[in-house]
Amino acid sequence: MTAAILDGIVLGLQFGILGVGLTIMYGLGGVLNLAYGSMAVVAAVVVSFSMRSGLPAGLAVLLGILTAAGIGLALNLTILKPVYRRQGEARVLLSLILTIGVAFIIDGFLVWRFPIEVLSLSIGGNPVLILGVPMRTGSLLASAITLLTGGALIFFFRATVTGRAVRSVIQDEVGAQLCGVNPATTRTLIFTLSGALVGLVVVMQSMTSPVPISAGFEITILALIVTVVGGLGSIRGAMLAGLILGVVHAMSSFYIGSYITTIILLAAAAFTILLRPSGLFGKHA
Amino acid sequence: MTTEDVNSVSGTSGVLRGRRKDRRVSNLVALTSIAVAGIVLALLPIWIGDSRSHMSVAISGLLFVCYAIAFNLIFGSTGQLFLAVGALAGVGAYASAIISDRLGVPFPLAMMLATGLSMLIGGGFSWIAVRRSLDIIFTGIVTLVFSLAFDNILLGQRDLTGGETGLVVEAGSDTFLRQQIPPYYVFLGLVLIYLVGYVLLHSSHIGWAFRALRDDRMAAELTGIDVSRYRIYAGVIGGGMLGLAGALWAHVEGFISPATFTFIHVDVPVLLMVVFGGLGMLMGPVIGSAFFTYMGEVLAAFSHLRLIGEGTMLIVLFLLLPKGILGALRSGASGLRRRRQTSKR
Repeated sequence: MTAAILDGIVLGLQFGILGVGLTIMYGLGGVLNLAYGSMAVVAAVVVSFSMRSGLPAGLAVLLGILTAAGIGLALNLTILKPVYRRQGEARVLLSLILTIGVAFIIDGFLVWRFPIEVLSLSIGGNPVLILGVPMRTGSLLASAITLLTGGALIFFFRATVTGRAVRSVIQDEVGAQLCGVNPATTRTLIFTLSGALVGLVVVMQSMTSPVPISAGFEITILALIVTVVGGLGSIRGAMLAGLILGVVHAMSSFYIGSYITTIILLAAAAFTILLRPSGLFGKHA
Repeated sequence: MTTEDVNSVSGTSGVLRGRRKDRRVSNLVALTSIAVAGIVLALLPIWIGDSRSHMSVAISGLLFVCYAIAFNLIFGSTGQLFLAVGALAGVGAYASAIISDRLGVPFPLAMMLATGLSMLIGGGFSWIAVRRSLDIIFTGIVTLVFSLAFDNILLGQRDLTGGETGLVVEAGSDTFLRQQIPPYYVFLGLVLIYLVGYVLLHSSHIGWAFRALRDDRMAAELTGIDVSRYRIYAGVIGGGMLGLAGALWAHVEGFISPATFTFIHVDVPVLLMVVFGGLGMLMGPVIGSAFFTYMGEVLAAFSHLRLIGEGTMLIVLFLLLPKGILGALRSGASGLRRRRQTSKR
C-alpha cells in the first residue's frame, strides 16, 4: 500500500511535468501539440545513441533534452507560423491536425530507422528504505530531479519577470501586448521550454522502466489526459492532476491490472470534460 | 445591371424560385455523378477481378469510402469532430461477430443489431456534446478518448474478443460474402446507398439545417433551427453508417483484430481522404479514398514510409489545399466564370 502510494507520487510528479509542458503550449499559443510524445522519443534516441558512443550519461541527457527543446523551437518557427494567423477554435484545430502530421513523420522515421531501439538508463546503487519501503536509486534520483524541476518551474512562473510575462500572455494576449510583452518571443521561449520538459520526463521515465521507440503516441495521450483533467492551460491544475493520476495509476495497476488502469485514466479525462470541462483549475466555467 | 440589381427588381419570390431550380439542377448533377462513379466502380472487376489480392484491396477501398462518407456527414456537414470513426466501425464489427457467433443469431439480424448499437453510441456522442455544449476540440478529445478506451477493452477482454490476436468470424463463411467478387458488389451497393442517402438528406429540410448550422451556428440557432437536434441526427446516422460498414466487413473478411480499427489506422487516413477529396462535398470521400487506395498499391514497395507519407500529406493538404481537390476545382471554375462575365461586360 505505502509502496504503491510512494510509487504513485514518483510517477505523479513526472505526469505533472509532462502535463505542464503540454498545457503551457495550449494556454499560450492556443496550440494542442500532438507531436509532444514524439519529440520525447527523439530525445530518448539521442540520449541512447550518445551514451553508446561513449559520452558520459549527464552530457548525453543534456544533449537529449536540448534536442527536444530544439524540436519545440523549430516547430514554433516553421510549421506553426500559419497556425498563429488563425484565431480561437480554428487555430486549435489546425494545430492539432498539423502536429498529428508531424508526429506521424517523426514516428514513421524512428520506427523505420531504429525499429528496436530502447532507452533504458540504469542507475546503480542499493535500494534505500523510505517509510519502510525499499526504493530504487533510479526512482529516487528521478523524483529528486522532478521535484527540483517542479520547484524551478513554480519559481519561474511566480517570481521571475519572464515567467510572469508568460502568465500574462496566457491570461490576456492583447493586454500583455499593451504592457510591452511580445507574445511571439514568449511563445518561442515556451515552446523551447515545453520541449525541454518532455525530454526531461522521458529521461526520468527511462530510469525506472525502459522507453520503447513506439512510445510517442502513448506519451502524448498521457500528457493530454493530465492536461484535460487539470484544465487546459492551467499550470497548477496540470501539476495537481499529474499527482492524483499518478497515484491512481500506481494503485490501480498494483491492485487491478494494467489494462483497466489505462481505461481508468481515459475515463478520468472523459468525465472531467463532461462534468467540469474547465478541469481542476480552469479559467472558464 | 449587376446580378444584385436583377434580384432586387424581381423580388424575393423570383430569388426563391431561382434557388429551387438551382437545387433541382444540383440534385441532378449529384445523382449523375453518383451514377458515373457507380458505373466506373462496377466495371473495375473486369480488369482486376481475377486477382484475389487486388480484389481485397478494392473492397477495403470501398470500406474506406463508407467510413469517409460517414465522417463527411458528421464533420463536414455538422462540424462535429468525431475521432472515433474506427472505433464506431469496430463496435459494429465486433458486436455483429460476437452476437452471431456466440449467441447463434443469424448474421443479417446480428448486423442490424450491431448497427443499432453504433447508432446509439454515435448519437450518444452528439447528445453529450450538445448537452455539455462542447466545442469542436472537446468533442474531438472525448471521441478520441473513446476510441483509445475501446481499443484497450478489445485488447483486455480476451475471452470475448480474442485480444491482440483477433477474432475469427464464422458467421457468413458459407455464403457468397466469402467469394472473390460478390462482396465487392455488396460494398459498392452500400457505397451507392450511402451516397444517395447523403444527397437526399442534404436536399431535405435536414440539409438546409445542416448548411445553416455549418455556416453560422449562432445565426442558425437565432432563426429557430434546433441545432442540437440536427447534430444528433448526424451523429445517429453517421454512427449507423460506420457500424453497418464495419459489421459487413467482419462477415466478408472473416477475421477482425483491434489493429483494423485503431485511430492511427482508420481515423487519420479517413481525415486525409475526406480533406483531400473536399470536406463537405458529395464525391469528396470517393475521390479521396480512390486516390489513397491506389497510391497505397502503387507505393506498396515503400510501405515502411507510409506513416511519413501520411504525415506529410496531412500537413501539405491542410496548408495548401484546405478545400480539397473538388473545392479547388470548383473555386477555380467559378473564378474563371466570373472573369469571363466581367470581360463580356
